[in-house]
Amino acid sequence: MLNFEEELKRFRPSLEIGNVEDAIGKEDMTDMTDLMTELLKEKGSLQ
Amino acid sequence: MDTRTKNRRISNVYYNIGLEKAKERDLTGAADVLKKSLRFNKYQTDARNLLGLIYHEIGEVGAALAQWIISLNLQQKDNLAEEYLQKLQENEGYLDMVDQAAKKYNQSLNYAHTDNEDLAVLLLMRMVDEMPNYVKAQQLLALLYIQNEDYTKAGRCLYQALKVDRYNPMAQRYMTVVKQNTGRAEVEKRKLKNAFSHRQMQDDDIILPPTYKENTGWQSILNILAGMALGVVVVFFLITPTVRDSIIGKYEEEIRKNLELVNQKSLQIDELERQMQEASAAQEEAESNLEDMVNNSGGVISQYQKLAQILQAYREEDVQSAALLYLDMDFTVLNDGVLDPIVAWVQQDMAANGFHILEQMGDEAIARPDTAQAIDYYQKSLTVKPDHVAVIYKIGLAYKSMGNIDMANQYFGDIIMNHPNSEYAQQAKEQRGY
Repeated sequence: MLNFEEELKRFRPSLEIGNVEDAIGKEDMTDMTDLMTELLKEKGSLQ
Repeated sequence: MDTRTKNRRISNVYYNIGLEKAKERDLTGAADVLKKSLRFNKYQTDARNLLGLIYHEIGEVGAALAQWIISLNLQQKDNLAEEYLQKLQENEGYLDMVDQAAKKYNQSLNYAHTDNEDLAVLLLMRMVDEMPNYVKAQQLLALLYIQNEDYTKAGRCLYQALKVDRYNPMAQRYMTVVKQNTGRAEVEKRKLKNAFSHRQMQDDDIILPPTYKENTGWQSILNILAGMALGVVVVFFLITPTVRDSIIGKYEEEIRKNLELVNQKSLQIDELERQMQEASAAQEEAESNLEDMVNNSGGVISQYQKLAQILQAYREEDVQSAALLYLDMDFTVLNDGVLDPIVAWVQQDMAANGFHILEQMGDEAIARPDTAQAIDYYQKSLTVKPDHVAVIYKIGLAYKSMGNIDMANQYFGDIIMNHPNSEYAQQAKEQRGY
Protein backbone atom coordinates (compact mmCIF):
# COMPACT_ATOMS: atom_id res chain seq x y z
CA MET A 1 0.00 0.00 0.00
CA LEU A 2 1.17 3.48 -0.75
CA ASN A 3 2.02 6.14 1.76
CA PHE A 4 0.35 9.11 0.27
CA GLU A 5 2.45 11.73 2.01
CA GLU A 6 5.67 9.99 1.21
CA GLU A 7 4.68 9.56 -2.37
CA LEU A 8 3.63 13.18 -2.59
CA LYS A 9 7.12 14.26 -1.63
CA ARG A 10 8.46 12.59 -4.73
CA PHE A 11 6.53 15.01 -6.91
CA ARG A 12 8.45 18.13 -7.90
CA PRO A 13 6.84 21.26 -9.36
CA SER A 14 6.93 21.71 -13.12
CA LEU A 15 8.94 24.51 -14.72
CA GLU A 16 6.64 27.25 -15.93
CA ILE A 17 7.55 29.18 -19.07
CA GLY A 18 8.12 32.37 -17.13
CA ASN A 19 10.75 30.68 -14.93
CA VAL A 20 12.82 29.18 -17.73
CA GLU A 21 15.35 32.01 -17.68
CA ASP A 22 16.01 31.57 -13.98
CA ALA A 23 16.29 27.85 -14.40
CA ILE A 24 18.91 28.24 -17.10
CA GLY A 25 20.89 30.58 -14.91
CA LYS A 26 20.88 28.05 -12.10
CA GLU A 27 21.73 25.10 -14.31
CA ASP A 28 24.92 23.37 -13.22
CA MET A 29 27.01 23.32 -16.34
CA THR A 30 30.03 21.65 -14.82
CA ASP A 31 31.05 18.55 -16.64
CA MET A 32 33.88 16.07 -16.08
CA THR A 33 36.33 18.06 -18.09
CA ASP A 34 35.69 21.12 -15.97
CA LEU A 35 36.16 19.03 -12.83
CA MET A 36 39.38 17.49 -14.07
CA THR A 37 40.67 20.91 -15.05
CA GLU A 38 39.75 22.20 -11.63
CA LEU A 39 41.50 19.26 -9.96
CA LEU A 40 44.62 19.73 -12.05
CA LYS A 41 44.70 23.40 -11.17
CA GLU A 42 44.38 22.57 -7.52
CA LYS A 43 47.07 19.95 -7.82
CA GLY A 44 49.32 22.40 -9.56
CA SER A 45 48.77 25.05 -6.94
CA LEU A 46 49.51 22.59 -4.16
CA GLN A 47 52.76 21.63 -5.78
CA MET B 1 44.45 9.60 -24.88
CA ASP B 2 43.86 12.75 -22.92
CA THR B 3 41.13 13.21 -20.33
CA ARG B 4 39.00 15.42 -22.51
CA THR B 5 38.86 12.83 -25.27
CA LYS B 6 38.04 10.09 -22.75
CA ASN B 7 35.24 12.14 -21.30
CA ARG B 8 33.91 12.80 -24.75
CA ARG B 9 33.87 9.13 -25.59
CA ILE B 10 32.11 8.20 -22.38
CA SER B 11 29.59 10.93 -23.06
CA ASN B 12 28.97 9.55 -26.51
CA VAL B 13 28.42 6.06 -25.16
CA TYR B 14 25.86 7.33 -22.69
CA TYR B 15 24.18 9.27 -25.44
CA ASN B 16 23.86 6.15 -27.60
CA ILE B 17 22.33 4.24 -24.70
CA GLY B 18 19.95 7.11 -24.07
CA LEU B 19 18.95 7.11 -27.71
CA GLU B 20 18.14 3.39 -27.63
CA LYS B 21 16.06 3.79 -24.49
CA ALA B 22 14.18 6.70 -26.01
CA LYS B 23 13.34 4.59 -29.06
CA GLU B 24 11.88 1.95 -26.74
CA ARG B 25 9.83 4.57 -24.98
CA ASP B 26 11.77 4.20 -21.74
CA LEU B 27 11.78 7.96 -21.37
CA THR B 28 12.66 8.06 -17.66
CA GLY B 29 15.60 5.73 -18.25
CA ALA B 30 16.68 7.69 -21.31
CA ALA B 31 16.57 10.99 -19.42
CA ASP B 32 18.77 9.61 -16.63
CA VAL B 33 21.37 8.34 -19.06
CA LEU B 34 21.38 11.51 -21.12
CA LYS B 35 22.03 13.57 -18.00
CA LYS B 36 25.04 11.38 -17.35
CA SER B 37 26.18 11.95 -20.92
CA LEU B 38 26.05 15.68 -20.31
CA ARG B 39 27.95 15.26 -17.07
CA PHE B 40 30.91 13.93 -19.00
CA ASN B 41 30.60 16.43 -21.81
CA LYS B 42 28.28 19.41 -21.58
CA TYR B 43 28.92 20.09 -25.25
CA GLN B 44 27.27 16.82 -26.31
CA THR B 45 24.59 18.71 -28.26
CA ASP B 46 22.68 15.67 -29.42
CA ALA B 47 22.27 14.42 -25.87
CA ARG B 48 21.01 17.79 -24.69
CA ASN B 49 18.60 18.15 -27.60
CA LEU B 50 17.28 14.63 -27.04
CA LEU B 51 16.84 15.34 -23.36
CA GLY B 52 14.79 18.40 -24.30
CA LEU B 53 12.72 16.27 -26.63
CA ILE B 54 12.01 13.78 -23.88
CA TYR B 55 10.97 16.53 -21.50
CA HIS B 56 8.64 17.87 -24.16
CA GLU B 57 7.16 14.44 -24.74
CA ILE B 58 6.28 13.90 -21.11
CA GLY B 59 4.67 17.33 -20.86
CA GLU B 60 7.54 19.21 -19.19
CA VAL B 61 7.73 21.89 -21.85
CA GLY B 62 9.45 24.45 -19.62
CA ALA B 63 12.30 22.04 -18.95
CA ALA B 64 12.50 21.25 -22.66
CA LEU B 65 12.82 24.95 -23.48
CA ALA B 66 15.62 25.34 -20.94
CA GLN B 67 17.65 22.48 -22.45
CA TRP B 68 17.24 23.74 -26.01
CA ILE B 69 18.21 27.29 -25.10
CA ILE B 70 21.32 26.04 -23.32
CA SER B 71 22.11 23.84 -26.30
CA LEU B 72 21.89 26.81 -28.66
CA ASN B 73 24.14 28.89 -26.42
CA LEU B 74 26.80 26.19 -26.42
CA GLN B 75 26.53 25.54 -30.17
CA GLN B 76 25.07 28.27 -32.34
CA LYS B 77 25.50 26.62 -35.75
CA ASP B 78 23.97 23.45 -37.16
CA ASN B 79 21.84 22.88 -34.09
CA LEU B 80 18.44 21.23 -34.18
CA ALA B 81 17.50 23.09 -31.01
CA GLU B 82 17.02 26.22 -33.10
CA GLU B 83 14.38 24.45 -35.16
CA TYR B 84 12.60 23.12 -32.07
CA LEU B 85 12.51 26.54 -30.46
CA GLN B 86 11.26 28.14 -33.66
CA LYS B 87 8.39 25.68 -33.91
CA LEU B 88 7.36 26.36 -30.34
CA GLN B 89 7.56 30.10 -30.77
CA GLU B 90 5.53 30.01 -33.97
CA ASN B 91 2.68 28.34 -32.11
CA GLU B 92 1.83 30.90 -29.45
CA GLY B 93 -1.36 29.20 -28.39
CA TYR B 94 0.52 26.04 -27.58
CA LEU B 95 3.00 27.77 -25.29
CA ASP B 96 0.14 29.38 -23.39
CA MET B 97 -1.57 26.05 -23.05
CA VAL B 98 1.45 24.22 -21.69
CA ASP B 99 2.23 27.07 -19.35
CA GLN B 100 -1.32 26.92 -17.99
CA ALA B 101 -0.99 23.16 -17.61
CA ALA B 102 2.20 23.58 -15.59
CA LYS B 103 0.54 26.19 -13.41
CA LYS B 104 -2.47 23.95 -12.81
CA TYR B 105 -0.27 21.04 -11.95
CA ASN B 106 1.70 23.14 -9.47
CA GLN B 107 -1.53 24.45 -7.96
CA SER B 108 -2.88 20.91 -7.71
CA LEU B 109 0.27 19.83 -5.94
CA ASN B 110 -0.27 22.67 -3.55
CA TYR B 111 -3.84 21.61 -2.95
CA ALA B 112 -2.73 18.06 -2.36
CA HIS B 113 -0.15 19.22 0.19
CA THR B 114 -2.80 21.32 1.95
CA ASP B 115 -5.39 18.55 2.24
CA ASN B 116 -7.51 19.99 -0.53
CA GLU B 117 -7.45 16.76 -2.49
CA ASP B 118 -10.85 17.25 -4.06
CA LEU B 119 -9.80 20.57 -5.55
CA ALA B 120 -6.56 19.00 -6.71
CA VAL B 121 -8.50 16.22 -8.44
CA LEU B 122 -10.87 18.66 -10.14
CA LEU B 123 -8.03 20.78 -11.45
CA LEU B 124 -6.01 17.80 -12.65
CA MET B 125 -8.98 16.10 -14.32
CA ARG B 126 -9.57 19.01 -16.67
CA MET B 127 -5.89 19.51 -17.32
CA VAL B 128 -5.10 15.91 -18.30
CA ASP B 129 -8.02 15.98 -20.73
CA GLU B 130 -6.16 18.71 -22.62
CA MET B 131 -2.71 17.18 -22.12
CA PRO B 132 -3.01 13.43 -21.67
CA ASN B 133 0.75 13.00 -22.19
CA TYR B 134 1.56 15.05 -19.08
CA VAL B 135 2.99 12.10 -17.19
CA LYS B 136 3.56 13.76 -13.82
CA ALA B 137 0.02 15.09 -13.75
CA GLN B 138 -1.39 11.64 -14.60
CA GLN B 139 0.66 10.13 -11.79
CA LEU B 140 -0.45 12.69 -9.22
CA LEU B 141 -4.07 12.22 -10.23
CA ALA B 142 -3.66 8.47 -9.98
CA LEU B 143 -2.22 8.85 -6.50
CA LEU B 144 -5.17 10.99 -5.48
CA TYR B 145 -7.61 8.43 -6.92
CA ILE B 146 -5.79 5.65 -5.10
CA GLN B 147 -6.01 7.66 -1.90
CA ASN B 148 -9.73 7.84 -2.62
CA GLU B 149 -9.77 4.09 -3.43
CA ASP B 150 -11.02 4.85 -6.89
CA TYR B 151 -8.75 2.28 -8.47
CA THR B 152 -10.43 2.16 -11.86
CA LYS B 153 -9.91 5.81 -12.51
CA ALA B 154 -6.41 5.55 -11.12
CA GLY B 155 -5.69 2.70 -13.47
CA ARG B 156 -6.96 4.79 -16.38
CA CYS B 157 -4.53 7.60 -15.55
CA LEU B 158 -1.65 5.19 -15.14
CA TYR B 159 -2.43 3.54 -18.46
CA GLN B 160 -2.12 6.93 -20.18
CA ALA B 161 1.15 7.65 -18.40
CA LEU B 162 2.61 4.27 -19.34
CA LYS B 163 1.62 4.81 -22.97
CA VAL B 164 3.98 7.79 -23.03
CA ASP B 165 6.71 6.51 -20.71
CA ARG B 166 6.53 2.76 -20.93
CA TYR B 167 8.79 1.85 -18.03
CA ASN B 168 8.07 4.77 -15.73
CA PRO B 169 8.89 3.34 -12.24
CA MET B 170 6.32 5.34 -10.35
CA ALA B 171 3.52 4.55 -12.78
CA GLN B 172 4.41 0.85 -12.73
CA ARG B 173 4.45 0.81 -8.98
CA TYR B 174 1.09 2.50 -8.73
CA MET B 175 -0.31 0.14 -11.35
CA THR B 176 0.70 -2.81 -9.21
CA VAL B 177 -1.16 -1.32 -6.29
CA VAL B 178 -4.21 -0.78 -8.47
CA LYS B 179 -4.15 -4.35 -9.66
CA GLN B 180 -3.75 -5.71 -6.16
CA ASN B 181 -6.70 -3.73 -4.95
CA THR B 182 -8.99 -4.81 -7.71
CA GLY B 183 -8.84 -8.54 -6.85
CA ARG B 184 -7.86 -10.87 -9.75
CA ALA B 185 -5.06 -9.21 -11.64
CA GLU B 186 -5.95 -10.77 -15.03
CA VAL B 187 -9.58 -9.80 -14.83
CA GLU B 188 -8.65 -6.31 -13.77
CA LYS B 189 -6.19 -6.10 -16.61
CA ARG B 190 -8.96 -6.88 -19.06
CA LYS B 191 -11.32 -4.47 -17.36
CA LEU B 192 -8.74 -1.81 -17.24
CA LYS B 193 -7.93 -2.41 -20.86
CA ASN B 194 -11.59 -2.12 -21.76
CA ALA B 195 -11.94 0.88 -19.51
CA PHE B 196 -8.94 2.47 -21.12
CA SER B 197 -9.62 1.50 -24.73
CA HIS B 198 -12.54 3.90 -25.08
CA ARG B 199 -13.56 1.85 -28.03
CA GLN B 200 -17.18 1.78 -28.89
CA MET B 201 -19.02 -0.43 -31.29
CA GLN B 202 -19.01 1.09 -34.73
CA ASP B 203 -21.80 0.71 -37.21
CA ASP B 204 -19.80 -1.61 -39.39
CA ASP B 205 -18.64 -3.91 -36.58
CA ILE B 206 -19.77 -7.48 -37.08
CA ILE B 207 -20.74 -9.82 -34.27
CA LEU B 208 -19.89 -13.35 -35.29
CA PRO B 209 -22.32 -16.01 -34.09
CA PRO B 210 -20.64 -19.00 -32.40
CA THR B 211 -21.78 -21.43 -35.07
CA TYR B 212 -19.96 -19.46 -37.80
CA LYS B 213 -16.86 -21.25 -39.01
CA GLU B 214 -14.25 -19.99 -41.34
CA ASN B 215 -13.61 -21.88 -44.56
CA THR B 216 -10.08 -23.18 -44.74
CA GLY B 217 -7.71 -24.86 -47.16
CA TRP B 218 -9.22 -26.60 -50.17
CA GLN B 219 -12.64 -25.18 -49.55
CA SER B 220 -11.27 -21.71 -49.94
CA ILE B 221 -9.50 -22.62 -53.16
CA LEU B 222 -12.63 -24.24 -54.56
CA ASN B 223 -14.66 -21.22 -53.66
CA ILE B 224 -12.20 -18.95 -55.41
CA LEU B 225 -12.18 -21.09 -58.56
CA ALA B 226 -15.96 -21.24 -58.63
CA GLY B 227 -16.15 -17.54 -58.25
CA MET B 228 -13.71 -16.99 -61.08
CA ALA B 229 -15.64 -19.32 -63.40
CA LEU B 230 -18.88 -17.58 -62.60
CA GLY B 231 -17.24 -14.28 -63.23
CA VAL B 232 -16.04 -15.36 -66.66
CA VAL B 233 -19.52 -16.59 -67.62
CA VAL B 234 -21.11 -13.35 -66.47
CA VAL B 235 -18.60 -11.31 -68.40
CA PHE B 236 -18.99 -13.38 -71.57
CA PHE B 237 -22.76 -13.48 -71.69
CA LEU B 238 -23.80 -10.29 -70.06
CA ILE B 239 -21.10 -7.69 -69.98
CA THR B 240 -19.24 -8.25 -73.26
CA PRO B 241 -22.29 -7.87 -75.59
CA THR B 242 -23.35 -4.76 -73.74
CA VAL B 243 -19.88 -3.32 -73.92
CA ARG B 244 -19.58 -4.27 -77.58
CA ASP B 245 -22.90 -2.67 -78.44
CA SER B 246 -21.96 0.36 -76.48
CA ILE B 247 -18.67 0.68 -78.38
CA ILE B 248 -20.37 0.12 -81.75
CA GLY B 249 -23.07 2.61 -80.89
CA LYS B 250 -20.44 5.09 -79.84
CA TYR B 251 -18.54 4.71 -83.12
CA GLU B 252 -21.70 4.84 -85.20
CA GLU B 253 -22.58 8.06 -83.54
CA GLU B 254 -19.07 9.29 -84.23
CA ILE B 255 -19.36 8.34 -87.91
CA ARG B 256 -22.74 10.01 -88.21
CA LYS B 257 -21.38 13.22 -86.76
CA ASN B 258 -18.44 13.14 -89.15
CA LEU B 259 -20.73 12.60 -92.14
CA GLU B 260 -22.83 15.54 -91.10
CA LEU B 261 -19.71 17.61 -90.83
CA VAL B 262 -18.61 16.54 -94.31
CA ASN B 263 -22.02 17.48 -95.71
CA GLN B 264 -21.87 20.86 -94.11
CA LYS B 265 -18.43 21.46 -95.50
CA SER B 266 -19.59 20.40 -99.00
CA LEU B 267 -22.43 22.87 -98.86
CA GLN B 268 -20.07 25.57 -97.75
CA ILE B 269 -17.72 24.73 -100.61
CA ASP B 270 -20.58 24.93 -103.15
CA GLU B 271 -21.65 28.28 -101.80
CA LEU B 272 -18.11 29.59 -101.92
CA GLU B 273 -17.73 28.40 -105.51
CA ARG B 274 -20.93 30.19 -106.50
CA GLN B 275 -19.76 33.36 -104.84
CA MET B 276 -16.45 33.04 -106.64
CA GLN B 277 -18.18 32.72 -110.00
CA GLU B 278 -20.30 35.76 -109.30
CA ALA B 279 -17.25 37.68 -108.28
CA SER B 280 -15.41 36.64 -111.45
CA ALA B 281 -18.34 37.77 -113.61
CA ALA B 282 -18.49 41.06 -111.80
CA GLN B 283 -14.79 41.47 -112.26
CA GLU B 284 -15.04 40.79 -115.98
CA GLU B 285 -17.82 43.32 -116.34
CA ALA B 286 -15.88 45.90 -114.39
CA GLU B 287 -12.79 45.31 -116.50
CA SER B 288 -14.83 45.63 -119.66
CA ASN B 289 -16.38 48.88 -118.46
CA LEU B 290 -13.00 50.18 -117.57
CA GLU B 291 -11.65 49.26 -120.96
CA ASP B 292 -14.56 51.06 -122.57
CA MET B 293 -13.99 54.07 -120.45
CA VAL B 294 -10.32 54.15 -121.23
CA ASN B 295 -10.20 53.15 -124.90
CA ASN B 296 -13.52 54.19 -126.41
CA SER B 297 -13.34 57.69 -127.86
CA GLY B 298 -16.86 58.31 -126.75
CA GLY B 299 -16.02 57.04 -123.35
CA VAL B 300 -16.05 59.13 -120.22
CA ILE B 301 -12.30 59.28 -119.79
CA SER B 302 -11.85 60.26 -123.43
CA GLN B 303 -14.36 63.11 -123.01
CA TYR B 304 -12.62 64.25 -119.83
CA GLN B 305 -9.38 64.32 -121.76
CA LYS B 306 -10.93 66.45 -124.52
CA LEU B 307 -12.43 68.86 -122.04
CA ALA B 308 -9.02 69.22 -120.41
CA GLN B 309 -7.58 69.96 -123.89
CA ILE B 310 -10.25 72.58 -124.59
CA LEU B 311 -9.45 74.33 -121.33
CA GLN B 312 -5.77 74.21 -122.13
CA ALA B 313 -6.49 75.75 -125.60
CA TYR B 314 -8.44 78.54 -123.90
CA ARG B 315 -5.49 79.22 -121.60
CA GLU B 316 -3.20 79.42 -124.61
CA GLU B 317 -5.74 81.63 -126.41
CA ASP B 318 -5.89 79.08 -129.19
CA VAL B 319 -9.60 79.52 -129.78
CA GLN B 320 -9.48 77.70 -133.10
CA SER B 321 -8.25 74.49 -131.48
CA ALA B 322 -10.74 74.93 -128.65
CA ALA B 323 -13.54 75.27 -131.18
CA LEU B 324 -12.46 72.20 -133.15
CA LEU B 325 -12.15 70.13 -129.97
CA TYR B 326 -15.49 71.39 -128.81
CA LEU B 327 -17.13 70.01 -131.91
CA ASP B 328 -15.71 66.56 -131.18
CA MET B 329 -17.05 66.37 -127.64
CA ASP B 330 -19.98 64.36 -126.32
CA PHE B 331 -21.08 66.30 -123.28
CA THR B 332 -23.82 63.81 -122.43
CA VAL B 333 -21.36 61.38 -120.84
CA LEU B 334 -20.01 64.03 -118.46
CA ASN B 335 -22.93 63.69 -116.05
CA ASP B 336 -21.30 63.26 -112.66
CA GLY B 337 -22.26 66.84 -111.81
CA VAL B 338 -18.76 67.83 -110.75
CA LEU B 339 -17.82 69.55 -114.04
CA ASP B 340 -21.22 71.00 -114.88
CA PRO B 341 -20.16 74.63 -114.31
CA ILE B 342 -17.12 74.20 -116.56
CA VAL B 343 -19.08 72.46 -119.29
CA ALA B 344 -21.78 75.12 -119.14
CA TRP B 345 -19.23 77.92 -119.52
CA VAL B 346 -17.59 76.22 -122.52
CA GLN B 347 -20.92 75.62 -124.19
CA GLN B 348 -21.97 79.23 -123.59
CA ASP B 349 -18.78 80.62 -124.99
CA MET B 350 -18.86 78.38 -128.02
CA ALA B 351 -22.48 79.28 -128.69
CA ALA B 352 -21.57 82.96 -128.57
CA ASN B 353 -18.22 82.89 -130.36
CA GLY B 354 -17.40 79.45 -131.54
CA PHE B 355 -19.46 79.51 -134.75
CA HIS B 356 -17.80 82.74 -135.82
CA ILE B 357 -14.34 81.39 -135.19
CA LEU B 358 -15.11 78.39 -137.34
CA GLU B 359 -16.50 80.66 -140.07
CA GLN B 360 -13.28 82.61 -140.06
CA MET B 361 -11.37 79.38 -140.31
CA GLY B 362 -13.49 78.52 -143.36
CA ASP B 363 -12.77 81.93 -144.92
CA GLU B 364 -9.04 81.39 -144.40
CA ALA B 365 -9.31 78.01 -146.07
CA ILE B 366 -11.11 79.58 -149.12
CA ALA B 367 -8.24 82.09 -149.39
CA ARG B 368 -5.59 79.39 -149.41
CA PRO B 369 -7.54 78.01 -151.52
CA ASP B 370 -8.69 74.82 -149.76
CA THR B 371 -12.36 74.70 -150.65
CA ALA B 372 -12.98 71.23 -149.17
CA GLN B 373 -11.48 72.29 -145.81
CA ALA B 374 -13.49 75.52 -146.00
CA ILE B 375 -16.71 73.56 -146.47
CA ASP B 376 -15.76 71.42 -143.46
CA TYR B 377 -15.18 74.44 -141.23
CA TYR B 378 -18.40 76.08 -142.48
CA GLN B 379 -20.28 72.86 -141.70
CA LYS B 380 -18.81 72.79 -138.20
CA SER B 381 -19.82 76.38 -137.76
CA LEU B 382 -23.35 75.43 -138.67
CA THR B 383 -23.35 72.71 -136.01
CA VAL B 384 -22.78 75.42 -133.44
CA LYS B 385 -25.21 77.88 -135.00
CA PRO B 386 -27.41 76.17 -137.56
CA ASP B 387 -29.24 79.33 -138.64
CA HIS B 388 -26.17 81.33 -139.59
CA VAL B 389 -27.33 82.39 -143.12
CA ALA B 390 -24.00 83.84 -144.14
CA VAL B 391 -22.28 80.51 -143.60
CA ILE B 392 -25.01 78.65 -145.51
CA TYR B 393 -24.47 81.02 -148.46
CA LYS B 394 -20.69 80.52 -148.25
CA ILE B 395 -21.08 76.74 -148.36
CA GLY B 396 -23.29 77.14 -151.48
CA LEU B 397 -20.66 79.31 -153.14
CA ALA B 398 -17.94 76.83 -152.20
CA TYR B 399 -19.79 73.93 -153.69
CA LYS B 400 -20.50 75.99 -156.85
CA SER B 401 -16.81 76.87 -157.21
CA MET B 402 -16.06 73.14 -156.97
CA GLY B 403 -18.57 72.51 -159.77
CA ASN B 404 -20.99 70.71 -157.47
CA ILE B 405 -24.08 72.63 -158.63
CA ASP B 406 -26.57 70.30 -157.06
CA MET B 407 -25.15 70.71 -153.62
CA ALA B 408 -24.77 74.42 -154.13
CA ASN B 409 -28.42 74.72 -155.16
CA GLN B 410 -29.44 72.83 -152.04
CA TYR B 411 -27.87 75.42 -149.82
CA PHE B 412 -29.15 78.30 -151.94
CA GLY B 413 -32.60 76.74 -151.89
CA ASP B 414 -32.41 76.48 -148.07
CA ILE B 415 -31.77 80.24 -147.82
CA ILE B 416 -34.60 81.08 -150.27
CA MET B 417 -37.06 78.79 -148.54
CA ASN B 418 -36.12 79.20 -144.91
CA HIS B 419 -34.63 82.62 -144.76
CA PRO B 420 -36.49 84.64 -147.44
CA ASN B 421 -36.11 87.91 -145.60
CA SER B 422 -32.37 87.62 -145.10
CA GLU B 423 -29.90 89.77 -146.97
CA TYR B 424 -28.61 86.65 -148.73
CA ALA B 425 -32.00 85.51 -150.15
CA GLN B 426 -31.78 87.64 -153.34
CA GLN B 427 -28.11 86.61 -153.90
CA ALA B 428 -29.04 82.97 -153.44
CA LYS B 429 -31.73 83.36 -156.12
CA GLU B 430 -29.20 84.90 -158.46
CA GLN B 431 -26.65 82.18 -157.81
CA ARG B 432 -29.24 79.50 -158.34
CA GLY B 433 -30.63 81.22 -161.42
CA TYR B 434 -34.28 81.08 -160.39
